[in-house]
Amino acid sequence: MMSLNFPVVVLLFTLGLYCILGKKNIIKIIIGLSIMTDGVHLLLISLGYRSEGIAPIVPSSMLENFSEIAGLAVDPVPQALVLTSIVINVCILALALSLAIHKFRQQGSTNVQDFNNLKN
Amino acid sequence: MVLDFFHSPILVIIIPLIGGFITPGLSLVASKYSLTKYRDYIVFGFMATTFLLILNTAIQGWGEIYVYPLGGWEPPLGISVVLDGLGVFISLIVGSISLLILYYSLDFMKDKKRLSQFYTLMLFLIAGMLGVSYTGDIFNLYVFFEIMSIASYALIAFYRTSDSIEASLKYIIIGSLGTGFILTGIVILYALTGTLNIADLAVRMSLISSEGFPLLSLLALGFLIVGFGMKVGMIPFHAWLPDAYQGAPIPVTTIMAGGTGIIGISSLLRIVYLIYGNGLANNLLLGLGLLTMIIGALLALRQYRLKRLLAYSSISQMGYVLFGLGIGNSLGISSGLYHMLNKAIFKSLLFLLAGIIITRLKTDNMKELGGLAKKMPITAVFFAVGSLALVGIPPFNGFVTKAGIFYGGMQAGYPVLSTIAAFSATLTVIYIIRAYILIFLGEPGDRVKNYTGQNNYKLLLPAFALVIACIVFGIFPGLGFNATEAAQEVLLNPELYIEAVFP
Repeated sequence: MMSLNFPVVVLLFTLGLYCILGKKNIIKIIIGLSIMTDGVHLLLISLGYRSEGIAPIVPSSMLENFSEIAGLAVDPVPQALVLTSIVINVCILALALSLAIHKFRQQGSTNVQDFNNLKN
Repeated sequence: MVLDFFHSPILVIIIPLIGGFITPGLSLVASKYSLTKYRDYIVFGFMATTFLLILNTAIQGWGEIYVYPLGGWEPPLGISVVLDGLGVFISLIVGSISLLILYYSLDFMKDKKRLSQFYTLMLFLIAGMLGVSYTGDIFNLYVFFEIMSIASYALIAFYRTSDSIEASLKYIIIGSLGTGFILTGIVILYALTGTLNIADLAVRMSLISSEGFPLLSLLALGFLIVGFGMKVGMIPFHAWLPDAYQGAPIPVTTIMAGGTGIIGISSLLRIVYLIYGNGLANNLLLGLGLLTMIIGALLALRQYRLKRLLAYSSISQMGYVLFGLGIGNSLGISSGLYHMLNKAIFKSLLFLLAGIIITRLKTDNMKELGGLAKKMPITAVFFAVGSLALVGIPPFNGFVTKAGIFYGGMQAGYPVLSTIAAFSATLTVIYIIRAYILIFLGEPGDRVKNYTGQNNYKLLLPAFALVIACIVFGIFPGLGFNATEAAQEVLLNPELYIEAVFP
């Protein structure tokens, strides 16, 4: 199953990038942002994956076969990183959506081509 | 002040962070007893303490690389704070600019609503910037970078007018695209090397790349350069910057011009020079720098909005920094770093003065201004100093670094590019003189004729401090070059950094 992850990562990343660069609706752009970062998260979590791996916890009674456990255990670092990153991106998503709501209330539009007050 | 040096590196980050969490509660109490003025003073106190700690670390650890492992976990297992020349230099710039801006905000923002949010986010922004400059772990760098970015997205939208929401929305899209790219670059680096500690990354990267860099590592470098380029406002990715600077409240604009841009460049530098080594991305930085300085200046020529003009000028000055750093020899790098300091000084000065002009006359359209020199003589003189420093006229600081970048380029064998860079300084002359004439000389407009007001010395004091800095760093360039020496050594000799982390 592992081999499927990386093509999906590339797919999600390019799909998100296409949404951000190609779409005109601000909500779709924000969705694209979310899809892109989810692609990166999938890449990150796939790095630490090991098929039939065990949790990287070593009780003191098993310290003598530490190297054996280390050979079986999944990599815990990407899991910690991905949690942090998910929290950060939820934060950005919430802020972006709240700004989009404000903008819609003020201008009655979600089309980014209408957002050009600042140019003149 | 006698503080144990061994804990002040982390206190520098913790104090503004905890301060940010305390501020909302403090505001509730303060507004209940109508003491909001003291809340502002306490916030300023947090920043002043942080600044003293930065000074303390800088003075005690000057010229050395000090490693502070968090929680006692030795690198590469734990996250460590690494105080090298670059980090200390950047934190000094950021700390002093933030201190001045918070002082300016005390008076500038005093009759605005929702001030507790403003100060909370401001402290988070400062904590993020200091965290990025001190950390020795690449993922930690990303997290602090995001703290800084999210705080700045929210601060730009602070007035909640149509303009500021739009500016913030543009910045949040491009900025999070940029940080997404940065994260991707970091993840690829982790996949290649299996470590996140910057020194360890440098060691393992040099092992991997002994027979040429693998394609994936170049891909990661590309992602990182594009990501940081988006955050800095490098030319193909600059579209958000003028909008964001125009829509944001002046203190936020100033801290973005003098702080966050510099942080972006310094993180890029750390990665390019420490992990990949000198020489790999130099031509790219040179090219992007040249493009950025020329196109930024050309775009600045046709602006009539003061903040927007200064924003384009900010892009252009960032180009000089990138160019200097891309040269890759010791004079080029130290002039580039020194120009970062100078840019922070004169750009902050010009933005603070623009803030004074805009609040007094209620417009930033330069067509409606004119003849202000008679009404606001002190501001006019200060603005002239800032402009001359920006252009690079001798007794002021811009001259030293622009000349340094030019000679550095000559030494490294880029005579044509350096000459182009020197000539693009004439564009700077044109746009800033045009702005000065439109604002301060000529026939006064209606707004200026009807304007009567007193100087507010509380707002002029931080500007005065920056004017003094412009002159001091121009007359005694040795000060600046001394300050950048340690940073330049670390960038050119990554072994020093690695040896300090793994003794």
